[in-house]
Amino acid sequence: MIVAGWLLDVFTHEKANGVVLWLLGDDGQRYRFEQAFPITFYAAGPPERLRALWRFLQSQPEPARLTRTERRDLFSGPLVVLAVEVTHPANLPRLFRQVSQVFPDLTFYDTDIHLALRHTATFGVFPTAHCEIETDMDNQVKAIEPLNTPWELDPAPLPLRILTLELDTNPSHAAPARIIVSYDRCRYLLPLEPAQALIAGLGATLKRYDPDLILTAWGDTWLLPHMLKLWKEHGCPLPLNREPVSDVIHRKEHSYFSYGQIIYRGRQVCLLGRWHIDRYNALLWNDYGLEGVLEMARVTGLPIQDAARLSPGTGISSMQFLTALRRGILIPWHKHQAEYPKTALELLRADMGGIVYQPIPGLHCDVAGIDFVSMYPGIMVRFNISPEVPRSQDDLTPAPGEPGIIPQTLAPLLKRRLEFKSALASLSKWDARRKPYQARASADKWLLVTCFGYLGYKNARFGRIEAHEAITAYGREALLRAKEAAEESDFTVLHMYVDGLWVQKAGCQTVEDFQKLLEATCKRTGLPIALDGIYRWIVFLSSKVDARVPVPNRYFGVFQDGTIKARGIEARRRDTPAFIAETQMQILEILAHAPDANQLQDCLPAVTTLVKKKIASLRAGRVPLEDLLIGQRLSRELEKYRTPSPAARAARQLVRVGKQISPGQRVRFLLTRDRPGVYAWDLPDPPEPRMVDVPRYHELLLRAVQTILEPIAQHYASKKQSGKESFSILQ
Amino acid sequence: MGRTLPSITQAFLHEQESFARFRRALRRSDQVALDDLFASARQHLAAAGYAAHALPFETFLLCMLLEEHKEVMRLRQQVEQLFAQKE
Repeated sequence: MIVAGWLLDVFTHEKANGVVLWLLGDDGQRYRFEQAFPITFYAAGPPERLRALWRFLQSQPEPARLTRTERRDLFSGPLVVLAVEVTHPANLPRLFRQVSQVFPDLTFYDTDIHLALRHTATFGVFPTAHCEIETDMDNQVKAIEPLNTPWELDPAPLPLRILTLELDTNPSHAAPARIIVSYDRCRYLLPLEPAQALIAGLGATLKRYDPDLILTAWGDTWLLPHMLKLWKEHGCPLPLNREPVSDVIHRKEHSYFSYGQIIYRGRQVCLLGRWHIDRYNALLWNDYGLEGVLEMARVTGLPIQDAARLSPGTGISSMQFLTALRRGILIPWHKHQAEYPKTALELLRADMGGIVYQPIPGLHCDVAGIDFVSMYPGIMVRFNISPEVPRSQDDLTPAPGEPGIIPQTLAPLLKRRLEFKSALASLSKWDARRKPYQARASADKWLLVTCFGYLGYKNARFGRIEAHEAITAYGREALLRAKEAAEESDFTVLHMYVDGLWVQKAGCQTVEDFQKLLEATCKRTGLPIALDGIYRWIVFLSSKVDARVPVPNRYFGVFQDGTIKARGIEARRRDTPAFIAETQMQILEILAHAPDANQLQDCLPAVTTLVKKKIASLRAGRVPLEDLLIGQRLSRELEKYRTPSPAARAARQLVRVGKQISPGQRVRFLLTRDRPGVYAWDLPDPPEPRMVDVPRYHELLLRAVQTILEPIAQHYASKKQSGKESFSILQ
Repeated sequence: MGRTLPSITQAFLHEQESFARFRRALRRSDQVALDDLFASARQHLAAAGYAAHALPFETFLLCMLLEEHKEVMRLRQQVEQLFAQKE
């Protein structure tokens, strides 16, 4: 039999014969196949130890085919290794655990690679690949052939059956009472009690509709564990898996440290034969949604459920593993490259990030924002920066030799992102392809960005701090060359930030005025640079503590087409109450109507009216309490706070009523008049409106208004124009 | 991702902190002037970081001097303009 369709899932379990493939056929049927798929790991070390390992493996009950062969280590070159081929992939983890305990002195390779990645590397089929499968009478796969590649810009959309299960309330806030079930055009409520009726109802829907994807709200952290518990208690089975096995895959909750932040990940429940995605536990779901998750899976080779939950860091290492597997490069079990010894002065020169300048604070007119296009990935690909490739003698010149593993992995991804970007630039505003393109480009962007960070990560298998340092060094050099190019053409450089700069010159207002500068910069650096846009006006803010000190990443401005760009101000901060963020954005929207900075004062009456209206509704208690919530992340364990922050005080209230709070979790709270000054939103009793600390919110609101208006007022004052009295709302 | 060395901002704050006793013993009016000097050095942190000098305080002193000289140049220009107007 020959079947064509989309590959949904590849996995194995104890009862399966090899790997199990689930396929969504072109004919709409869901097929289950099995495929023999022996997998291999390698061991290197002194010959007598390898002989001992050989004898040890022959005495094991699991059959393994042993051969002596030569493979390539990325850093030390060709290497004689013992290849251990395990017939049943499900046996490898157990076998390897024993081997690594008995032979801790040997070096192991290819031991902990995700099964789906090995499958992708061997057959070229990736998650959601359109492929053709030839099988025998027993549904055993004889041949599998991909019909498309992960790099297609417009892959044919999968005719997925999606079942959505949502709780009527956030379970960490209050006890949910009902599940909102929806699929196709059906939508109904299912009470959580009585449990037997719930299981029977949900089980019937699962059987009848047989979804490919169960999309939930709080499914990982609450709903599915709850259902599994009921199943155990009442003994009536629930066909959550499509695969006829009862066990689902559990992963525990954990907190970890990444990019200077503590991140909390809730526990996870993954299914076999269909996908489960919890949109509150999926990483970056808000950023790119299902389309982005599918893109992640396509390009990284990771199964959908993993792609939805794992960080882009795991995504990019998976892509590197794919490149390694395809080129016969060994993937070490543990990283063994240490940092090269450096003198103190060398370290001083090397251990630096990108250039972050101090902008000239205040309001500036007709400013061009120009950015290097995907600067760090561009540097890696263009100048061949890879852990195993020696850096070239001069900055911003390609390292000689074959492209290394990093440029090889990144080149197609970078090309794809640029293709999306240029396609997006030419599509009309209403084109249906816009949204999926944006989501895919965003997923690709995350992978590209993390690749740079991962080179410097101490546990990355193909990481090397020197490669990481070379990238930042080239980035600094490129930015300084751009600055020199701008200053030589008499532009004033107002600000520089890692991969972008803001320049200004009297009389330069149109795209053509900046074209020459872009070309000159591109020529000097070898890297593409593009105009982000021309601002009618832009404000760089100074520090709140000391007005003389400019801060690098707090600014707002309006482009010539009226779009607003803001960074670091209250409206962009995730801990600002929605009410205040919204007000600040509305002020910016009013100001965006002014055709140029000199006419900003004409907008001030409208701003004054808006702010007065907002203050009035705050005082009258007309602002919904949700819009006053402040959400802050806990940065450490509760006991470790010496002077507890408002978030810590709110978390303590939650702990007192028996809720579990881990570092990295967001705590939402209201500012209140009575001690301790906060009220946690997730406490069982709802807060009363009269508790709200109105004067404090009033103060926060005025501060946000001031952020926007004060620099504008100063601009007018310095130009000695009339209109200063219009800013009286600041007092 | 950790850094082995403190960032230039951390180095700057550390240097400023190390003069806390000195600052405390100054007259109030002199404290204001000293704060001004540190604030002017802070405007060139990016350049000081890029310089990667082993003794960052030397670079900070140069930054202060730079801002002072800019002020001198600005004042000189104003004086010259005033003279020109008078003549």
